[in-house]
Amino acid sequence: MREAYIVEATRTPGCKRAKGLLAQTRPEDLLVTTLKATMERSKVPYEAVEDIMMGCAFPEAEQGINIGRIAALMAGFPITACGATVNRFCSSGLEALAISAFKIKAGMMEVAMGGGVESMSIVPMGGNLPRPHPEWAKKDYTVYMSMGITAENVARRYNVTREEQDYFGYHSHLKAADAQAKKLFTEIAPVDAYKFVKQADGSFKKETYKVDYDDGVMADANLEKMGKLRGAFSAPIPNVPNSGSVTAANSSQTTDGAATNLIMSKEACEKYGVKPKVKLVGYVVAGCKPDEMGVGPKYAIPLLFKKTGMTMDKIIKDGLIELNEAFASQGIHCARELGIADNKYWEFGSKDAFINVTGGAIALGHPLGCTGSKIFATLVNNMQRLGKKYGVESMCIGGGMGAAALFELCD
Amino acid sequence: MTRRIEKACVIGSGIMGGGIAALCASAGVKTLLLDIAPFDLKDEEKNDRKAKQRIVQAGLDAQLKAKPAAFMDKKHDLSLIELGNLTDDFDKIAECDIIFEVVVENLKIKQDLFARLEKVRKPGSIIASNTSGLPLEKMSEGRSDDFKKHFLILHFFNPVRYMKILECIAMPETSKEVCDFVSKWGEQTLGKGIVWGKDTPNFIGNRIGVELICEAFKLIEAGLASIPEADAMFAKPMGMPGTAIFGLADFVGNDTIDHIAHNSYELLTKDEYRDIYKTPSFFNTMMEKKMYGNKTKEAGGFYLSGRGADGKKFKKVIDIKTCQHVDFDNKATYPIVEATKELKSTAEKQKHLFKNNDFAKKLISSMCVYSANRIPEIANTLVDIDNGMKWGYAWECGPFEIWDNLGLKDSLAEIEKAGFTVPANVKRMVEKGGTTFYKVENGIKKFWDFASDSYKNIPYSPNMVFLSNIKADKAKTVLGNDACSLVDIGDGVFCFEFHTKMNALNNDVINTVPKAVEFVRKNGAGLVIGNEAGGMPPAFSAGGDLKFMLGLAKKGDFKGINDFIADVHNGMKMIKYSPFPVVAAPFGLALGGGCEVCLWSDKIVAHNELYMALVEVGAGLVPAGGGCYQMWRRISESNVTPTDWLTVFLAAFQTIAMPMPSMSAQEARNKGFLRAQDRIVFNRDYLIGDAKKEVLRMVEDGYVPPANLPVKVFGQDAMGALDANIPDMLAGYKIAPHISTVVRRVGYVISGGTAYKGEEISEDAMLTLEREMFVDCWKTEGSQKMAEHMATKGKPLFI
Repeated sequence: MREAYIVEATRTPGCKRAKGLLAQTRPEDLLVTTLKATMERSKVPYEAVEDIMMGCAFPEAEQGINIGRIAALMAGFPITACGATVNRFCSSGLEALAISAFKIKAGMMEVAMGGGVESMSIVPMGGNLPRPHPEWAKKDYTVYMSMGITAENVARRYNVTREEQDYFGYHSHLKAADAQAKKLFTEIAPVDAYKFVKQADGSFKKETYKVDYDDGVMADANLEKMGKLRGAFSAPIPNVPNSGSVTAANSSQTTDGAATNLIMSKEACEKYGVKPKVKLVGYVVAGCKPDEMGVGPKYAIPLLFKKTGMTMDKIIKDGLIELNEAFASQGIHCARELGIADNKYWEFGSKDAFINVTGGAIALGHPLGCTGSKIFATLVNNMQRLGKKYGVESMCIGGGMGAAALFELCD
Repeated sequence: MTRRIEKACVIGSGIMGGGIAALCASAGVKTLLLDIAPFDLKDEEKNDRKAKQRIVQAGLDAQLKAKPAAFMDKKHDLSLIELGNLTDDFDKIAECDIIFEVVVENLKIKQDLFARLEKVRKPGSIIASNTSGLPLEKMSEGRSDDFKKHFLILHFFNPVRYMKILECIAMPETSKEVCDFVSKWGEQTLGKGIVWGKDTPNFIGNRIGVELICEAFKLIEAGLASIPEADAMFAKPMGMPGTAIFGLADFVGNDTIDHIAHNSYELLTKDEYRDIYKTPSFFNTMMEKKMYGNKTKEAGGFYLSGRGADGKKFKKVIDIKTCQHVDFDNKATYPIVEATKELKSTAEKQKHLFKNNDFAKKLISSMCVYSANRIPEIANTLVDIDNGMKWGYAWECGPFEIWDNLGLKDSLAEIEKAGFTVPANVKRMVEKGGTTFYKVENGIKKFWDFASDSYKNIPYSPNMVFLSNIKADKAKTVLGNDACSLVDIGDGVFCFEFHTKMNALNNDVINTVPKAVEFVRKNGAGLVIGNEAGGMPPAFSAGGDLKFMLGLAKKGDFKGINDFIADVHNGMKMIKYSPFPVVAAPFGLALGGGCEVCLWSDKIVAHNELYMALVEVGAGLVPAGGGCYQMWRRISESNVTPTDWLTVFLAAFQTIAMPMPSMSAQEARNKGFLRAQDRIVFNRDYLIGDAKKEVLRMVEDGYVPPANLPVKVFGQDAMGALDANIPDMLAGYKIAPHISTVVRRVGYVISGGTAYKGEEISEDAMLTLEREMFVDCWKTEGSQKMAEHMATKGKPLFI
């Protein structure tokens, strides 16, 4: 098979649901921002793009019909650039990238895009019209289970303590705040955001403003304060260790955002004279129990290594991992199972750190269908900046799955 | 010109001013609430509107947080309130039709305010002071004749929303037109009980109330009772609130009691009981130690409660010899109090205390004698004194009603024997043949008027209809039993009255419904469902008779339960489909079955203090008097399509599955219990009269019963939603296991059982679902345990 090269990747800032800076900006507009930024940074003409795969976990309402196609047209692509919406919940953005990449690898395309979008402010988690199947829900409801409860299950079943979770979350903020201060998030494409502001006469006005930073990062994160929060999904249950331990501060933030990447064959890179950043080495998914969906990466990453001949040692030596922080409980458990749970691998300021080196979803947010492409943009940026050869991206997926992909830096 | 209150102004946003503003707004009156701009504004704040509003904003915020709630419907009420400060917004007072002065009790400050007010007020606007002690003459010194014509005292009690009293005091210059208007407006719009007092120290309520407290001081000093024993007697057995005497003093503030007592001693130089206002030395020591009661948490008052080092709650009582708090048995029983529990009526209990306890005998005698001696000094009639104490102190009976309960004739000798002198006016009444202070003749309640030495009708608003008065004529009760009555309230309208304990709907009530409906069908124009229950809060009906059904369930007689519910449904449908209008008049607690009976009526005329909910889930049951069906019907009858029904379904489901009683009738409307056509009445005494008027209006308008139409349901998808979410709640420890099965059944009923979304289901089929699920609950051990817990302990068991 041919290689598929990713030549550019950008993302919008991740901003908090409802109260954040992007709350009233429509998802199509978020996507247009990164589509344009990716194309402009790559200097590849719009006409070159044959297809656009767009991840979205709740592709309905404002994100519905087919946002992959709509946003492409809005961004100024010609009608020849096709588009589709891809849904695998939390890995949708990575799935979209992989679909485009594998089409190129298979020789069916030369230039394609991947990406993802989610406005959790505008389309709520669970969608606007959830309709669980009555008989199946009665028989086995776990596929409909709230994500927070699955995270509780992981903490309870695999003994991840409240203290461990809070400490993990605290470091996510420390790393992200530091990266923000050092202006490391150069993959961000600033958004011309807008909101509707009530005027003195009671009417509303659409006001626009620039957003260029992730607004959920707490520069003044306080471990003691985090320790005082109540369980967000469960009360503490007598005689059930670690129950009620999953809180707002050790869970990912619900977020609005979009991210896009441009993928090309070797021939296309040469034709348009672009220097690729990374190539896709492999992508896998693995299933697990829906009621502890957070464990997904512990199956997906070993499978990925098996298929690609990669080892964790090589990653530790010359690689980075973006392990999506859906919840601290599942992140810690997966790291333990993968043998990389030592604090030095992820603590802020550690010279050996290679996991989520600029923070993760607890600080930067988890815009569901966007995340796969969002953390990819961050991963590539960090690989280039730090000169790391390998990059692994992995996440757990609602419904009980894990996804993992391996990328290699181009010379 | 027509006098109308389009806008009110309240000056002073403290606990009373804020409370008055909240009440006016709740009653639908636009209200301007003013207070001073802070004195300590920094230079940069002098032009900062927000900084200048700081005090009035804090006053409003305190009302918003008040418990029990001051507002009845925050969103609505707040839209009527405008805040301002006395520096910038004083001129806005010109827009107001009534101005309440509720500033600090300082004559000079009030006089200055009135002088300033006179310059901006709209001609004809009413000025009312909420003073609890300053004389009208002094306050209005230097004001114009027109000002005085429109000036009076309107004295509210705290908390303003809940205390029924409005003491009104006019000066000779106040115009009659203003007095008449205020009486009507206060009664109808604000729902208050109007009591006309005179410009004498402490007016009526506090004059009698503080005399009682000071007398009690004297009696405990003499060792006639301990403080806890005194409070045990002067609570429920006397028909008085649980705070009784010393708890009340702590609640009000002993410093306030001290102030009033001191003031009384100074001003009431001719009072025959003047010496009683000289507070005893133990009380003076308490004042030195700043033992002001609830407001001084560390020092306490007569009682001291808190948490010990071990985290356990404690309650101590003061030892008046040492003025130290000592332990006492908070659960101790007293033989004299225990004996009253055997007696049925408050009258018998009061009589028992009077006859068998020296402390009670002396305190009751003192209060009765003092009250009679105050006529005409503080009030023209004994009715005003009784109302003052009932509405201002939440007593079940006023002093003269208590005296009637003792048996007036028998009590006179005992009062004398206890060392009190029977007042001349009472002696004269007995000589002239008066045997009771009150009596009912031909449905009209009369009182003994000391001024004319004869019985006179109690002047009521024509809006008031009192069942107790009507029922004095036995012929007016046309049918009934121990549990309920059908009363002829005139003009062809009958009132179906419950009178069981907490007005629970038992078998006797349910069996009487068809007879009552049949009677009205033959003989009447329409029906009111209402009663006059007392208590704090009163119970229109606290629900179905759990004990009765529990008995059946324990015997395994589930067919009996099924048949009972079938009877309930038949009764409710008769109410709905009878060829005459049925108007329910709920107030206070309207829970479970008490709520359901209202939902079946053609119209609800509710008192604003309405605490309505379907609380069956707390007893392990689904609402089965039509509550599930009615709630779904009410909430789903809008233009939403089945696509949006999960939201609609959840609204109905949550109302039943997580019952929180409405904290006002307005809230009951927001929750979907009351519909647009249902009315809210502020004066509880108007309730039955207004419901009767509604019946007659509907008859006049050509009433026809509603058609029996099916209802669209959400169907099977509802159960998918519940079964996908209830396990999360269980895993998150947010719902108890058995309760989760009960609410699941609620969901099954309101979604129409096994049906496709948007299908129509008949009323009977919905009711059958209710009945089946209800019986199904009773068959479980969990629900039986929950019902038993609720029936015996009065609160839900979370299993």
